[in-house]
Amino acid sequence: MQILFYLFAAVSILSALFVVAAKNPVNSVIALIVCFLSIAGHYILLNAQFLAVVHIIVYTGAIMVLFLFVIMLLNLNKSTEPQKSMATRIAAVIAGGLFLLTLLGAIKDGIGIANPDVYDGSVGLVKSVGTSLFTEYLLPFEVSSVLFLSAMIGAVMLGKKDKGQPDGGEISGAA
Amino acid sequence: MSAIILLSILGVVLLYMGLGNNKRLLAPVGILGLAGAGALSFLDRRPLPAWGHGAMAFDDLSMAFCVAMAGITLLLFVFGSDYYSRTQENVAEHYALLVFSLTGAFLLTSYQNLLMLFLGIEVLSIPLYILAGGKKRSYRSSEAGFKYFLLGSFATAFFLMGIALVYGMAGSFDLKVIGDYAAANAEHPAALFLVGMFFIAVGLGFKVAAVPFHFWSPDVYEGAPTIITAFMSTVVKMGSFAAVYRLIGVHITALPPAVERTLWAITILTLLIGNLVALRQSHFKRLMAYSSIAHTGFLLMAVLSGDALAGRALFYYTLTYALATVGLFVVFTVAKRAANGDEHIRIFRGMFKSKPWLAAATLIMLLSLAGIPPTAGFLAKYQVFVLAVQNGYVWSTLFAAVMAVLGIYYYLKVIRETFTTNEEGAVLQLNATNTAVIAVCGVGALLLGLWPMGLI
Repeated sequence: MQILFYLFAAVSILSALFVVAAKNPVNSVIALIVCFLSIAGHYILLNAQFLAVVHIIVYTGAIMVLFLFVIMLLNLNKSTEPQKSMATRIAAVIAGGLFLLTLLGAIKDGIGIANPDVYDGSVGLVKSVGTSLFTEYLLPFEVSSVLFLSAMIGAVMLGKKDKGQPDGGEISGAA
Repeated sequence: MSAIILLSILGVVLLYMGLGNNKRLLAPVGILGLAGAGALSFLDRRPLPAWGHGAMAFDDLSMAFCVAMAGITLLLFVFGSDYYSRTQENVAEHYALLVFSLTGAFLLTSYQNLLMLFLGIEVLSIPLYILAGGKKRSYRSSEAGFKYFLLGSFATAFFLMGIALVYGMAGSFDLKVIGDYAAANAEHPAALFLVGMFFIAVGLGFKVAAVPFHFWSPDVYEGAPTIITAFMSTVVKMGSFAAVYRLIGVHITALPPAVERTLWAITILTLLIGNLVALRQSHFKRLMAYSSIAHTGFLLMAVLSGDALAGRALFYYTLTYALATVGLFVVFTVAKRAANGDEHIRIFRGMFKSKPWLAAATLIMLLSLAGIPPTAGFLAKYQVFVLAVQNGYVWSTLFAAVMAVLGIYYYLKVIRETFTTNEEGAVLQLNATNTAVIAVCGVGALLLGLWPMGLI
């Protein structure tokens, strides 16, 4: 088990680094898929099957395919680096470094589960997720439908072509 | 709770009505539904103290916020019947999204755990991202929507990370448990809890447009359609402050000192930057954006005073602010139409000569925003200062008072334009519905100041 953990950890860190370092966006996306798959492996090690399956279906499946489509449709597979001014770069490095320091300082004391004795190992099983989703967390579950409905309206409203708008309308692309 | 269900259904009904051709029925149906939601939340307050396995709890304050927000949205719908009369595109979607956003604001008044807080903020924001970009043919509107969406999602990421960290340390989403955890570890808070609270502060600070998370607000206010700008600066502000107050005013009262110091620094900065930058604005919507940032500073001060009565002060302040703001945006729309789309404050010029009553209402609302007696804005600011002084924050109060005096200047700039007599203003077209909205707002801003009706 421990060997598996180290294997997944190494794969996810290396592939995550490759996502940032790769020059070609398509390679970047492929590395991201590998990264997501290894994180799904972590979930299985933690006995969270539901999360692992959802992670693979939603992220690795749907979202990554979308990424690839966008990159290929927009023909972005050239290695183009947007040029930033020196001041922006320095500011970004300082801000990112401070952020890293804050997080390092925070985990210096170590991270512990608040109450390891009461931790229930079966919490991530499909059955327990379903049970709590439809009993304890029923209200948030229902409320999120309003959220998705409004997001859907937005996608249709901003995406569809209005009457009297010329083909390839100059503004609709911005939405 | 029944109010929230009614609002969700109302949104769907409005959407279906958009399939038909009669767009004129949309606003009346919406107004009826909003009135019903306000009445239901008034009736709801006693029988249902807790709901959804402790996810929500209703009290008098959340009831007051719900009724007031439904009322302000109702005013905006009345305004909308005129505002949307010139366009045929996506009107039903706009109304429905406004209603959905209001649903999120309702959730924010009565949440009991961080999960509901997160959902409330998202249900409030996602429709706004869309609405800000609602004028599809306008570059500025599309830019506003896109900018708001990108920056908003970034802030949401921080907020969610903060919730995860706080959950990890306190072991629960429940506000009571987290509050007890914070009180028990007030002396030596765990670093991860601190970072979590900071991240939550970043997320909420973005929502209420506190400095230094305010950069989106002038651009978005400027680019969004005026009715959406009015909604953002009133209902959204009320909802977010109800949420902030519930989080750190009611439940997590024992804030770690580092977080409290940071929040005070944010408050002082918000007061300073909001008022100073507003002095240089001559574009009306940007002026209102910075004025809204400045008001955020005063509201944050009320929350941080930690007084038991801070909730009432917040409610009174946001209500008076919302009334004045809605009225001013209606006046602005009327003047903008007469000036062929100009948004500079010079469009108010000569209003006193052509429409003296309109100018009088504008005067009252601007004075209320500036906080000059006998308007309601004065009582609101006074109330905040009293709370802060009573709890020993004398220097901050002095600073805030200086900033309030400074703020009077930029409202006076608009008043000066309104009452210039040496120039003939444009001919303003006022119809009955707009007159009604302006009258309600103007009279409300004056009456609440003279006779606060037990609100403070």
